[in-house]
Amino acid sequence: MSGGIARGRLTEERKAWRKNHPHGFVAKPESLPDGTVNLMVWHCTIPGKAGTDWDGGYYPLTLHFTEDYPSKPPKCKFPPGFFHPNVYPSGTVCLSILNEDSGWRPAITVKQILVGIQDLLDTPNPADPAQTDGYHLFIQDTVEYKKRVRQQAKLYPALV
Amino acid sequence: MDSEDDMHDAHDVDEDYEEDYYSGDGMYSDGEGYDFDDNDDDGDDDDDDDEGNDDANDDVILSLQQKKFTVLKEEDIKQRQEDDITKIVSVLSISRDSACMLLRRFSWSVTNVHEEWFANEEKVRKAVGLLENLDNKAPKSGELPCGICFESYKVEKISTAACGHPFCNTCWTAYISTSINDGPGCLTLRCPIPSCGAAVGVDMINRLTTEEDKSKYRRYLLRSYIEDNRKTKWCPAPGCDCAIEFDIGSENYDVTCHCSHSFCWNCTEEAHRPVDCDTVSKWIMKNSAESENMNWILANSKPCPKCKRPIEKNQGCMHMTCNPPCKYEFCWLCLGQWSDHGERTGGFYACNRYEAAKQEGAYDEAERRREMAKNSLERYTHYYERWATNQSSRQKAIADLQQMQTVHLAKLSVLQNIPETDLKFILEAWMQIVECRRVLKWTYAYGYYIPEPELAKRNLFEYLQGDAEANLERLHQCAEKELHTYLSDRDPPHSQEEFRNFKTKLAGLTSITRNYFENLVRALENGLSDVITNAEESSKTSSSKTAAAGTSKPKAVKGKGPTKGGASSHTDGWTCESCTFVNPKTGTECQMCHTSR
Repeated sequence: MSGGIARGRLTEERKAWRKNHPHGFVAKPESLPDGTVNLMVWHCTIPGKAGTDWDGGYYPLTLHFTEDYPSKPPKCKFPPGFFHPNVYPSGTVCLSILNEDSGWRPAITVKQILVGIQDLLDTPNPADPAQTDGYHLFIQDTVEYKKRVRQQAKLYPALV
Repeated sequence: MDSEDDMHDAHDVDEDYEEDYYSGDGMYSDGEGYDFDDNDDDGDDDDDDDEGNDDANDDVILSLQQKKFTVLKEEDIKQRQEDDITKIVSVLSISRDSACMLLRRFSWSVTNVHEEWFANEEKVRKAVGLLENLDNKAPKSGELPCGICFESYKVEKISTAACGHPFCNTCWTAYISTSINDGPGCLTLRCPIPSCGAAVGVDMINRLTTEEDKSKYRRYLLRSYIEDNRKTKWCPAPGCDCAIEFDIGSENYDVTCHCSHSFCWNCTEEAHRPVDCDTVSKWIMKNSAESENMNWILANSKPCPKCKRPIEKNQGCMHMTCNPPCKYEFCWLCLGQWSDHGERTGGFYACNRYEAAKQEGAYDEAERRREMAKNSLERYTHYYERWATNQSSRQKAIADLQQMQTVHLAKLSVLQNIPETDLKFILEAWMQIVECRRVLKWTYAYGYYIPEPELAKRNLFEYLQGDAEANLERLHQCAEKELHTYLSDRDPPHSQEEFRNFKTKLAGLTSITRNYFENLVRALENGLSDVITNAEESSKTSSSKTAAAGTSKPKAVKGKGPTKGGASSHTDGWTCESCTFVNPKTGTECQMCHTSR
């Protein structure tokens, strides 16, 4: 199997990202206390899209890769309790391209994942709810939903 | 009840089928089954006997019907699949690879592929992922980056689908292998680029994967050919690789595979003619359902008044003591505490409180429910036992038949100095037994579902079933016990005369039993509708009598068929004393139960 290629591919992903990445996004492999780099876990930041209720927030996301990557997708997690209809209470993102049984293709890049999740923030998919709180407000009470989103945006200010 | 139209339909079908039956079965009425010499073998062989026992088996089972299905072996399936692909290739002028994907998309229907393709080729191409006229921009030499591992490779180590997106062969292999191991979804594999719909077909699979994965892929492709096709199904017998192609629209769903497993093509349960699929599924559900357990608990137990565990009282007095840790002591009849019982409640071993309360009606509802559940349970048990016994009896008969084929026939041939081909009548008897046990078994499921108030139907059913069963028992006895005496070395040995008599008897019983079962099957398949005619006849008779007495005109009898036909059949025919069937005037033997007039 493709066991060997996960690290090679991630190294290349890292290179490609440093060369060019979308504005406001952050994506870098975890640094361990002893100074070494763990390529299998990436700490990322996704900016809320300008002009949406998510604008102004810089949302922390962690990508967990496995040795099966890129045959299998990474697991993408916001902080636990993140408010969004398609995010599980644990923080795991539910998105078609991240589902190994349907949408995932090995050619999907880290950049595509992050941009895909940024899109998801303001265009939730009500057919695939992952938490009750976010889902019910989104369906039943748009005013309250928007309020909660804007509140959450303030929780995650820019890290500069 | 059914409408009149339904009745007519059922009847028409039955008539068609009767014709088939008589034309196909002529040889038995000629010889009356008592004349099994060489002539008869000819009659038997004219179908196709080149495949030995399998076909002999089919002959007996299919003696009632025209074959409306085809058994496909694995080679046949592959051949058909190849043929279908070739047809598409030649008509659409596309590659085999593409043809295969098209067929799979349209459930392997050549006609559908043609229709869809010529209606809107572009749409079909898009749906299947067959890209066309793409400028394959990939250079012929130099290096290209792989879109999966991001390494650069010489073009020789790079492969692309029709879209031209480059990936190294190692990554392709991993990608394809992951997909194949995830299941039959690999048959619709696309390029690894998420937005690209280019299909990855069998050519690339064959070029880029391991032998193991290739054979898995071929397996899925073969399965798809049978499973996606409306006209084919796998034989459900364990370990059997054959499939059955069924002529959709035929009335009789029973099919028999080369492995000798007979099943219903419609519901894939084992063959259950003359009982319909709904009844079978209800019956099977019932057999496995928890509901019977519940009925039993309801009928035979009461909950402990303290801990509510169900308690069965299987013997003894009314003083109950629940199991530890509960240990509650109570009276079975009134469920009151035992310490309250004594002289003032009518003595320890009777319960006046219960009797008094029962008289007031306090216990009626619960008691009645318990009583009903008990009755229904007993009724079910009656049918289930007989259903299950015939099932195991059939299994035994199948084993005996095999034993007969492999061991006993050769032995008998030596002992009696008769060629094995002349002993075919024994196998026929056993095959008839196996088939009859199957029918008989399902008639018990049928019997269970005859509605309680339809007494006339029930009586006719039980009559026919009883007759068929009695004959089957005679046949089974003869084939099992009597045959056995010819297998043992006896001194002096059986004379040829004796064996000839035995042969006549067994062949005769086989044929008679067959007839009885055919009657039974036919009667059940038309929903025992004869009995309706008879019930109407009798009601008409009684009302005519009243009319003759001069009190009133006969009332019009509601029911099926024109009144005229019904009346004439009555006046022209005679009613069998034994089964009440109204026979034509000319016959001297009842058509239904064969009792002489």
